[in-house]
Amino acid sequence: MIEEPYRWVEAIANRAEYIETQLAAGSPIVALGYRDGILFLTLGRTRQKLFEIYDRIAMGAIGHPGDIERLRMAAIELASTEGFTRSAADVSLRRLAHYSLSPVLKTAFEQVYGAPYLARLLFAEIGVKQENDLFLRLDYDGAIVTNNATFAQTRQDFGALSGTRQSTELMEKYLEAEHSAAATFERAFKLGLDAWTVGHLALGDAGVKELPGRDKILAERKERLRAAGIEAAILERDDKIAIRYRTLTEAEIRSALGD
Amino acid sequence: MDAAGGEGEDFVGLLRRTGHIGPISPTGPIAAGTPGAAFPLTQATTILAFKFQGGVLVAGDRRATAGNTVVYDRADKVLEIDRHSIMAIAGVPATAWEMARVLEHSFQFFRRTQLQEMSVDGKVRALSKLLRDNFGFVLQGAGIVVPIFATYDSGADPAARLYFYDAMGAQFEVTDYAATGSGSPAVRGVLHYENKWGKKTLAKLAEDDAVTVALRALDTAAESDTATGGVDRNAKIFPVIKIVSRDGIATLPEKRIASLFKRSVA
Repeated sequence: MIEEPYRWVEAIANRAEYIETQLAAGSPIVALGYRDGILFLTLGRTRQKLFEIYDRIAMGAIGHPGDIERLRMAAIELASTEGFTRSAADVSLRRLAHYSLSPVLKTAFEQVYGAPYLARLLFAEIGVKQENDLFLRLDYDGAIVTNNATFAQTRQDFGALSGTRQSTELMEKYLEAEHSAAATFERAFKLGLDAWTVGHLALGDAGVKELPGRDKILAERKERLRAAGIEAAILERDDKIAIRYRTLTEAEIRSALGD
Repeated sequence: MDAAGGEGEDFVGLLRRTGHIGPISPTGPIAAGTPGAAFPLTQATTILAFKFQGGVLVAGDRRATAGNTVVYDRADKVLEIDRHSIMAIAGVPATAWEMARVLEHSFQFFRRTQLQEMSVDGKVRALSKLLRDNFGFVLQGAGIVVPIFATYDSGADPAARLYFYDAMGAQFEVTDYAATGSGSPAVRGVLHYENKWGKKTLAKLAEDDAVTVALRALDTAAESDTATGGVDRNAKIFPVIKIVSRDGIATLPEKRIASLFKRSVA
């Protein structure tokens, strides 16, 4: 019956709904370009959600741990073999996402007899200069959204990822208004926390639809920090070192929080 | 793309599966009178390493030769593998540099996929496996590599560690010093002498004195071994010297080596 076209479309729609429901509770992830690099930040209680893919590429993910793991391994394998056979400079997030990961996600999503990937990924690649930084969101159906880094459009120096579209959009709206690429690390860190909080407030049916006020964000942020820990990593804009990815230590996070 | 999941395939396995490196070199019985390579292969020569007060010092001269010919006088045989590990090579650079490249990527690949640093034992063993896989080529007279591996172990018993290997992949941990390559007999003589009858044992030397000993040892080797470059006084080419310690790897600036050479060696 699924061979009939409209049945197939129906099956795909059902599947999309199912996946959206599965992802809906995902804790937001923020990536912010700042003066000296790119900051990845999220709050969580249990699993690691930020990962190093290659020298200049980082990934944040929400979804099923098994699926995230398969995609993460695939990304690392592709980047590593490319970096080995050619050079680290030839490993590019654009190619990794467009030519390798996206087709795989799309195929898995549309083959309705097989299992789709329950995962949504946010990547960032640090460039030689800030205007070369690339932020890229990859969805479970293979759809790609970037910060327009190579097109003649207004570029954004951030990326956001969340469980629902509403939450993601609100985070982006907030960051568009508040974020500047010239921010210091301390400023980016605090803004990242705020953006995360906005995303978190927008999750669920009862979530906020408009940008919450300053007080509400601060109160929620305080509340959430009591219940969950911060996970943060940076890609450093330092061309003297090859491996730019670094997880922030607890001491660094505490100091950035002003504790 | 074969999203296999992190069940622990190592990087060399991945490269073989994806056809990025060839199969393990052929071994099996060698036919009587196997001629070996019919032409002189490029060889990199003398390297040395010893423990001193500040960690492990690794030094290599800069010469690469093929038979009687000097191929290159600015070869770098002291290679950084990761933030705390150095592989120094004597032997065929084509094979050695490729091994270093595989090793470097293997350690990173392990760290990225398994979300933890590879242990020192794991790293030492990884190089051993590469040498073992290459042994068929060694038997055919091509591609011999005899490396030294120095690293800092920040595990339960934090210390700088030093290993040398034979061409078949056996690893030997050393307490004091190691040297391989054509000039190594002379180097071993100098290091043994310094360690036993010098003013201080090698392990107690401060950095300046350690560098001086390394330069003197390489200069001594170059005195009798034409394949060792030592210090080229005319072209001002100095050995490469790196130091492994808890803080990572420090490469000695050429200026500093030059001034120590001028002061205590020349």
